[in-house]
Amino acid sequence: MAPVELRLNGLCKRFRDVVAVHDASLVIRGGEVLALLGENGAGKSTLMRLAYGMVRPDAGHIEIDARRVRFDAPRDAVAAGIGMVFQQFSLIDTLSVRENLALAWPRAPWWLGRDARRPGALDAHLARLVPGVDPRARTGDLAVGVRQQIEIAKVLLREARCVILDEPTAVLTPAEAGALHARVRALARDGFAVVLITHKTADVRACADRVAVMRAGRVVGEAPAADAADARIVEWMVGVAPAPAAARPARAADTPVRLSVRGLCAGPVRDVALDVHAGEIVAVAGVSGSGQVALAEALTGLRPLDAGQVTLDGQALRAPGRPARPVAALAAIPADPRRTAIAPSRSLAVNLALKRLAVQPWRVRRAALEEQARAPIARFDVRPPDPRRPAGTLSGGNLQKLVIARELQGDPTAVVACYPTMGLDVVATAQVRDAMLTLAANGCAVLWFGEDLDDLLAHAHRIVVMFDGRLVADLDAHTATPQQVGVWMSGHAIAPDPLRQAA
Amino acid sequence: MAAADALLTGLPVSTLRGATPLLFVLLGECLTQRAGRINLGVEGQMLVGAAAGYGVTALSGSPALGLAAGAAAGALLSTVFAVLTVAVDADPFASGLAVWMLGFGVSAFAGTALVGLRIDGWMPWAGGITPTIALALALVPVCGFGLLHTRTGLRWRAVGESPEHARAAGVTPWHYIVAGVLVGGVLSGLGGAALSVDYTRTWAEGMTAGRGLVAVGLVIVARWNPWLALPAALLFGLAEALSLRLQAADSAVSAHLLHTLPYLASLGVFAITCARLRRRPGGGAPAALGALLAR
Amino acid sequence: MTTVAALAATPLRAAFVRAAAAIGVFAALASLFFVSIGQPPATMFVEIARAAAGSGYAVGESLVRATPIMLCALATLVPARLGLVSVGADGQLYAGAIVGTGALLAWPLAPGPVLLSAVLVGGAIGGALWALGPALLRAFVPVHETISTLMLNWVAAMLVTWLVHGAWRNPASQGWPASIEFPDTARLPVLGDSRVHAGLALALVLAVVLHAVLTRTRSGLVLDVLRDNPRLQAVTGCAVAPRIVATMLVGGAFAGLAGIVETSVVQGRLQSDLANGAGLAGFLVAWLAGNRVPQTVALALLVGAVLAAGDGLQIATAVPSSATLVVQGLMFVALLAVGGASARWRGVGHGRG
Ligand SMILES: Nc1ncnc2c1ncn2[C@@H]1O[C@H](COP(=O)(O)OP(=O)(O)OP(=O)(O)O)[C@@H](O)[C@H]1O
Ligand SMILES: [Mg+2]
Repeated sequence: MAPVELRLNGLCKRFRDVVAVHDASLVIRGGEVLALLGENGAGKSTLMRLAYGMVRPDAGHIEIDARRVRFDAPRDAVAAGIGMVFQQFSLIDTLSVRENLALAWPRAPWWLGRDARRPGALDAHLARLVPGVDPRARTGDLAVGVRQQIEIAKVLLREARCVILDEPTAVLTPAEAGALHARVRALARDGFAVVLITHKTADVRACADRVAVMRAGRVVGEAPAADAADARIVEWMVGVAPAPAAARPARAADTPVRLSVRGLCAGPVRDVALDVHAGEIVAVAGVSGSGQVALAEALTGLRPLDAGQVTLDGQALRAPGRPARPVAALAAIPADPRRTAIAPSRSLAVNLALKRLAVQPWRVRRAALEEQARAPIARFDVRPPDPRRPAGTLSGGNLQKLVIARELQGDPTAVVACYPTMGLDVVATAQVRDAMLTLAANGCAVLWFGEDLDDLLAHAHRIVVMFDGRLVADLDAHTATPQQVGVWMSGHAIAPDPLRQAA
Repeated sequence: MAAADALLTGLPVSTLRGATPLLFVLLGECLTQRAGRINLGVEGQMLVGAAAGYGVTALSGSPALGLAAGAAAGALLSTVFAVLTVAVDADPFASGLAVWMLGFGVSAFAGTALVGLRIDGWMPWAGGITPTIALALALVPVCGFGLLHTRTGLRWRAVGESPEHARAAGVTPWHYIVAGVLVGGVLSGLGGAALSVDYTRTWAEGMTAGRGLVAVGLVIVARWNPWLALPAALLFGLAEALSLRLQAADSAVSAHLLHTLPYLASLGVFAITCARLRRRPGGGAPAALGALLAR
Repeated sequence: MTTVAALAATPLRAAFVRAAAAIGVFAALASLFFVSIGQPPATMFVEIARAAAGSGYAVGESLVRATPIMLCALATLVPARLGLVSVGADGQLYAGAIVGTGALLAWPLAPGPVLLSAVLVGGAIGGALWALGPALLRAFVPVHETISTLMLNWVAAMLVTWLVHGAWRNPASQGWPASIEFPDTARLPVLGDSRVHAGLALALVLAVVLHAVLTRTRSGLVLDVLRDNPRLQAVTGCAVAPRIVATMLVGGAFAGLAGIVETSVVQGRLQSDLANGAGLAGFLVAWLAGNRVPQTVALALLVGAVLAAGDGLQIATAVPSSATLVVQGLMFVALLAVGGASARWRGVGHGRG
């Protein structure tokens, strides 16, 4: 396979009043892994969607092997040998794995048979790239890591020479991320051009050859990965040197239990018991699909309990059959807040008042709501700070801050936060993390469902591990190692000998 | 005993005859919904199909030409829905109702000329089967295999699940959506023509009496599966045949009340289906449509 | 001050452009239709304008036609504020007419004010009851309200037919199946010697109250929030199910009022086909008005005028009344096309995907 060279020249794209990409140029070469970094909203995804023909540029052009090309739709980009795995994936959940592959396969025969059974080539391809997966399985039922492998298999099925991966590791566990890094390296060795969009410097260290950084729609810096120090990358991304990460607050001994969970069953969650003390940060880790999200949903009131009960400072919080009511003392930061915690077309002011909605005076004065919104907006630096703006127009990081601002209004005594930094850039991540550390320092009980194990181990006091809907381990975060946690996450019932681990 | 006999002899054929117009519409709407659009305008498309079919049959003396004319009329009206929901992205429910209203108006207007015309229709074959019934039955496997076993069908379903993801996979969604709406138009026009040319052999203003809308609901009962469209249509046909027979048998219940039977039966199975679907998320609904219905 | 300036600058101008475009598209479609039926479009448009608003009588007829459409549009709008797509106004209208008429038949000799309120309240209750089934099915099963309400429309229409052919048939009205005439005591007052009746005033007052509730109160805000994202019931503590039932019932009551007002004042007795497409037209009016009350009221008046013009036209030019239905359909198509195109052009309603 001849190594490909893809050149993006001066691409521009604006969406109504937002300039997403502005005069961005980038060269992508075969045999090389290019890491593309940048703040939330810097335009990374949009630039790559331009390269894949999902959106059309307002200006600029694309060249492949020094020939100018024009992509009107992904179909054209696919024909030119470009493949992309999207941030939110593009598999169709209700179709089987095989059907998803057949859909993307340009050489699929017209007669496919029930469940695309006839072209046997698909099963062979699948067995090679995603061993062990059932080709008849409904794609939506599969774990995130497997779905991602299928996405990559789909791209390779189409004989792509340039593979674009948009934040692939955001949803993976450390072990899965390691496997992905190996696959990416192997692709580059075989002559593929790989673009890896990421917020994690670990990805850069593990597999990138070259780093490009975007800010405000432009490519502002490029360097060989080996030369790009972490601090330098962050400075490119945000224009200032990064502040040192805050330290984990010391925890006073023998503080009282605040949040107490007993025998909780809800959907996939089975018989979970857990105590979180005042001033304590307890991290919940687990391979995706082990029931963490369901547990967080049950605690935040999004999912009814089948059995068990939850108390906060001795008061009943959740129980089977009890309708969910907002409780000022509990700050609930659910996963995917855009879908679960925000009214997207309502203003920031209304969204900040949601928890108090049922106790508003019957006559609502919008001006008063807007006035009340200014303080929390300023406190958490939600941008743009306009209380009348619809919440749905905020970027991911600002939306997350908005939810936190709302939930922290009543001076809560406990926080349940599910993936609060997922998909956020370094600056936003630091802001959200610092907010949680400050809370713990002030005596709040914090339960933190996270995806980045290093982060959890660095900031939590205790780490519990979920597997198959149950809590299987409860470790001291000061002494636990990522390997140790990883073993528990993968469900190996026999704990490794801690002494041997340490040695 | 005799009364029961009168009620039951020939019931299967009556059921099939009553189900046939609905079966066309149901298959068409099933394909439309699988491409991600709900078209409430099928009611209007049936009406123009019925009027055109009746008129052309009366003029030409050929029921086959009548059916073709009905299909063409239905397709023509469905282009309005296609333009509204694809080209300018108007609300599908409102667009469907506007098309319904337009179809009602056009058929009523054109239909004034049809009053008093007489047609002969087809002589049934042995056992009471007419070519219309045979055509409807033959379309079930065509749609079933086409949708579930072919490449085109796979793309068609993918567009209904998620146009954006289908586009990322290299499909051009609007081709399939327009095709879905037009096929729905052809089949609902055929259904209307089957009603006026073969089943009732008369024309009356608003004669479809909600059959198109019943079809929209029965698509869900059939779980968007062309094969299951057949039992769903037969259910309506059975309820209708029973209500007609009970009327003929001078039952104590008024004919007007018996007329509600097919609607109540359809609503009943519809509610039961929805209750059962609840336990299976999505339940086979094309996802783009599920989002619409869950609004 | 900034808001006033902003209003005057773009949105208003945009609204004018939209209105002009809609009129243009409608005129083009309608001309095509008139030419195809062999009528000169120019004359037809003049006749339509004259028949809709050319005289005091014409204006009165337009208002009479607009009243049930306005009430049915409000009936669609209330559930729509929670994101429900209820297409049941026709059935609720029939049910309101039935229960209202039932009140009359039960106490025909009750004193005037009592009888009148019983009839009106009966109408509202009838409409609400007809909405109750789909509301409960949607809230607790859930069954899509669009389809259940549509199917029940036919059932309600047939119930009316059954009643006026059977139990409630007025023996004095020889061949024509209808109930007895409503006595003057059971009718809303009319304006002078026109047919314009107090039902219009009632609809307008209800619209004003509804607008205030939807935009100024906590209940309205809760509906806005839950429509935007039903999962927020956990965050806000405001459950969706009771609100589904409440909005459907209120909507049903509006449509039921339309039914009894139309029966008692305009037609004077219960008879089949009394809805005359008001429910369908009302749905389209509400939807085209973006489910906002002021726009809904204005558009209902416009649609009423077009329908009244159709009736007038039939007399003046011997064009059959079904032509009005075509013209009305074309008008909705034009409005939908222009509304959709402008939304697409402004980029709203077109999410990121
Ligand atoms: N389809 C769209 N419509 C409107 N605005 C958009 C659209 N796509 C992207 N944007 C906006 O363009 C900007 C760049 O977005 P993009 O998704 O490319 O950022 P990103 O660098 O990938 O960020 P993240 O790290 O959060 O994924 C953002 O402000 C975003 O809100
Ligand atoms: Mg992105």
